[in-house]
Order: sequence, then structure tokens, then C-alpha cells
Amino acid sequence: MIEVENLTKKYGDRTAVNDINFAVKKGEVIGFLGPNGAGKSTTLRMLTGYLTPSAGRIRVGGVDAVKDPIAARRFIGYMPESVPLYREMRVEEYLRYRARLKGVPRGQVKQRVNASLELATITDVRYRIIGQLSKGYRSRVGLADALVADPPVLVLDEPTAGLDPNQIRQVRDLIRGMAGEKTVLLSTHILPEVESTCGRVLIINKGHLVGEGTPGSLRGSRSGGHMLVVEARGSREQLSNTLSIVSGVRRIADTAALDDGLVRFRLEVESESIAEAVSSAVAAAGCKLRELHREQTSLEDVFATLTTADHAEESTIEPLAAAGSAAPSTEAQPGSPGDRA
Amino acid sequence: MNAIYTIAKREIFSFFVSPIAYVVLTVWLLFFGVVFYVLALVFAQQPGAQTNLLTAFFGGTTLFYLPLLVFAPVITMRLLAEERSSGTIEALLTAPVSEVSVVLGKYLAALTFWMVLWLPTLSYVWLVARTTENAVDWGAIGATYLGLFLVGTFYMGVGLFMSAAARNQIVAAMLTFLVLGGLFVLGLVGYANVGDEWRSIFEYLGLWTQMSAFAKGIVDTRYVVYDLSIAVLSVTLSVRVLQADRGV
Repeated sequence: MIEVENLTKKYGDRTAVNDINFAVKKGEVIGFLGPNGAGKSTTLRMLTGYLTPSAGRIRVGGVDAVKDPIAARRFIGYMPESVPLYREMRVEEYLRYRARLKGVPRGQVKQRVNASLELATITDVRYRIIGQLSKGYRSRVGLADALVADPPVLVLDEPTAGLDPNQIRQVRDLIRGMAGEKTVLLSTHILPEVESTCGRVLIINKGHLVGEGTPGSLRGSRSGGHMLVVEARGSREQLSNTLSIVSGVRRIADTAALDDGLVRFRLEVESESIAEAVSSAVAAAGCKLRELHREQTSLEDVFATLTTADHAEESTIEPLAAAGSAAPSTEAQPGSPGDRA
Repeated sequence: MNAIYTIAKREIFSFFVSPIAYVVLTVWLLFFGVVFYVLALVFAQQPGAQTNLLTAFFGGTTLFYLPLLVFAPVITMRLLAEERSSGTIEALLTAPVSEVSVVLGKYLAALTFWMVLWLPTLSYVWLVARTTENAVDWGAIGATYLGLFLVGTFYMGVGLFMSAAARNQIVAAMLTFLVLGGLFVLGLVGYANVGDEWRSIFEYLGLWTQMSAFAKGIVDTRYVVYDLSIAVLSVTLSVRVLQADRGV
């Protein structure tokens, strides 16, 4: 649905986005992750045809978005980061205006506006003036705007910024619910958001794409295998000997003596399922087990490593898919631009 | 076409929900009402006057241009400057509409408002037609309103471009005032002793004589060309500014 090749944006000497390649299949929900100023918004603005790339190609729904930005924009519902709205308009007026602007036929405007108000859960403020709404409501008006023409692709720049926890959950549920049906590209720097909504993650830093994969694969790739953490009371040597002979334990990654005669071991293991064997081994050695858990590399760690390391190239992330080959060729295109014109 | 109409409609709507529209309309009506009243008094005292009251009102006095120099920037200052400073231009230009549609929509809205401002003056025409026999030359009235429209294409065009060039509304208004006021003063230079050739050039550039010609019923095509060229130039340059913003 979206194919990006060698995308580059330069502002004078500064390169905001540097040679980015990726492809998004129809129905995928992709998280665009990166620290502030990494080039997320610039990339999204190029995708939506607001900024013209310095170099590279963008195809949205098979249309060249650089050569024909207006045709490409018909596929996209875009929610800009700052959610710019006309403050003097009422919510419903604004959405009707946006629907007409996006080419929704006159007869369908009412139904589309109602549907988008419903999806963004702002039906209760439809007659309110936008300038008087709270930030949370305003950002959901922006979301309703992105949805109003029922586009096949949604590009959401930090869609949950400014929302309270309940609203965040609603918006995440909404996005998750659209998976499979719509192609969603959302940017964020909130990691749990990515874990809970996105099927795939692109990590961008300083204009470079530094990582790509499912949240799970990114996590696995950084930890170098499965880890178990064991805390038990006993002598360090005894425990050490006991643990190292449990079958499935590859090595003891490190040990640390805690207060109160407790020792903590980090074990690199073949599979997490040997936790029970570890537990019985500790008991058999006459030591008391206090804690035993699987260590999960959080996406935070992955993010921190990828976006703070100087040599992102050394990362063990699966190689980025070559843009050309990743483009699905048999992809159906719902609603050609002509349909709604 | 559809997008131009949608954008123009919203622009006019938002003009009328803001207090600006009502302030402009009120002051405008008051000012021109007083001017018309004074002129009518003068004409009432000299029955066999050479010129006609309406001709004098629409182009015979400096009083006609002065308020326009102030109101034109007020009408146009928001057009693009507000969209650009508040960021709504991003929402506008990520909808499937071109910069040309955006600029033309805005321009159309400003021109519409400009013509709406002149609507009440039709009542002056009606008054004159009712009170004095054969005082209204309907051909001249047609030419007058065509002239007003053409001055509008010029003034609104300059204002539109300044609103595109300056991100700040106040700066846009000041620049528009500077250009229109400058041209107006240039027209006044004609009254200094500069020789006939220069004088006619200055008067032409300053639109000084445009309304007096049109109000007499003379449709001077040089003015038509001048006004429309400025309009086309302004729209083109405004489109370029928006495109440059996008890095095209």
C-alpha cells in the first residue's frame, strides 16, 4: 500500500531524513518510532504529500506521491502532530467541510460525518465550537477528520498525545480494530503504544532507519537468547555449581551478592521452560529460592540501544527488507481515486 | 472547481463569525453614508451642476479611496497568513486539493466580501433615481460596478499575496497598506507639476483616475488590463509561495 525508496529530505545543510526504505502492506498497522527530532514527522509529511522529498520515491496505493501528490492524498487520512483546526468552527461543521474538501459526495457527507464522530467517540461535542474544546477532544476531532473520507490508509502523527488514559485506550482499541481493514502508519515515542497496537515497528533515529521488525522480534534480537533470573539464599559457590549443571543452562551470565545472604544469578538458557528444573535444583541443594523470573528485554531497551548507540549498523536486527522486493504485487486496491472524485 | 468553492465558502463563513466582518461593515456603511450625505447636500445647493451626484460619489473625490486603503488590508490579512501561522495549511494541503485551488478559493472569498460591501451603495442609486428624474445613467452605473469589481481584483490580489508572503497577519496588513497607499500617493504626484506624460503614468499606476472614468461610464480597457494583470500576478505568486513552503 505504501512503498518508500531512498527517501531523503534536506533543509539546507541539515538532512532531516536520510535514505529511508520501507514498505507497508495493505491492512498492516505500523509503528513509527523514534526520539523527538528523529525525522518521524518529516517522513509522514512527505508521505502525505505536504512536503516534497529532496530525493527518493514514494508510492501510495500504486500512485507516485511525488509526481501526483493530489491523487496520492485521496488514499490517505492524515492527522498532523499539532492537530491544526479552525477554532471558530463547530465540530460537525468542520467535519462536513473536510468531507467535502476530500471529495465525499454531497449525499454521503452526513452519514460519513456521523460515522467518524462515532468512531472518534466525540458525538457528544458535535455542536461545540472547536476552540472551546479540551486538548483531548481536539485531538480526537483530528482523528475524526482523518477518518471522515473513509480512506484506505491512515497516517497518524502521535495520535494519543494529550489524551487521558481512558481516551488513550479507546484510541488504541480503535486503531487495533482497523487492522486488516485499513493500512495504518502511526508515529509515537510512547513504547507501550507500539507494543499494544502495532504489528510491525520501524525505528528511526537522526533521519536513519535503524531497526525494523515485530515488537517481539526486536526484543528477542537484542537479548541474545532467553534469560532467567534466580535469587536464592545460600553460598555463592554452591549455588553456582548447582545451577551450572542443570540441563538447558548455557552459562551463568553474571552473579551478584545481595544483602541478607541472598545471591542473584542471571542464566542464559536454551528455553524458558527449564525454570521448573532450576527451581527443583535449588531446592535439592538445600537453598531457599526467593525469586525466579524470565528476563524480558523491553522495547525500551531496544529503543535505547538503537537510538543512542553511535554505531547503529552493528545492531543484530534482521536486515531491512529491500524496498523493491517487499512490495506486494498482488495487492488489491480498494477504492480507486476516481470513485470518490 | 469543487474544492475552490468549498474553500471559499468556509472562508466567508469564518469571516462572518468573526467580529471583523461586522466592524468593517459598520464603519464602511457609516463612512460612505456620511460622504454620500455631504455630497448630496452640496449637489442640492447647486442645481445645474456639471457632474452627476453618483459620478462624484464613486470617483470624484479622494474620500472614495481613503477608506479602501484601510479596509482592503483588513479584509485580506487573514487569508493565508492565518492558515500558515496556525498550521491549518498542513491539513488543507494534505487534503486532495492543489495550491491553486486553495489560493483561488481564498481570493474568491475576499472578492465576494468586497462586492458585498458595495451592495448597500445600490440603495444610494435607488434614492437618487427616486428623487431626481433622469439623474441616473444606467449604463454608467453598470460601468461603475464593473470598475468597483476591477479595483477589487487589484486590491484583493495585492492583499492576498502579502498574506501569503507574511506569516503574521499584522505584517501582511501593513505591507498591503504600504503598497496600496504608496500607489495612491503616486497618483497624487500627478497633481504636482511633473508634466503631462508623467502625470498620466502616475495616475494610471495609482488607479487614481480609474474610478472617475468608470463612474462616468467610460470603460477604459487599459485599466481592465492593469487590474487583471495584477490579479493574475498575485494569484500566481501566492501559489508559488505555498509551493515553496512545501519544498516543490
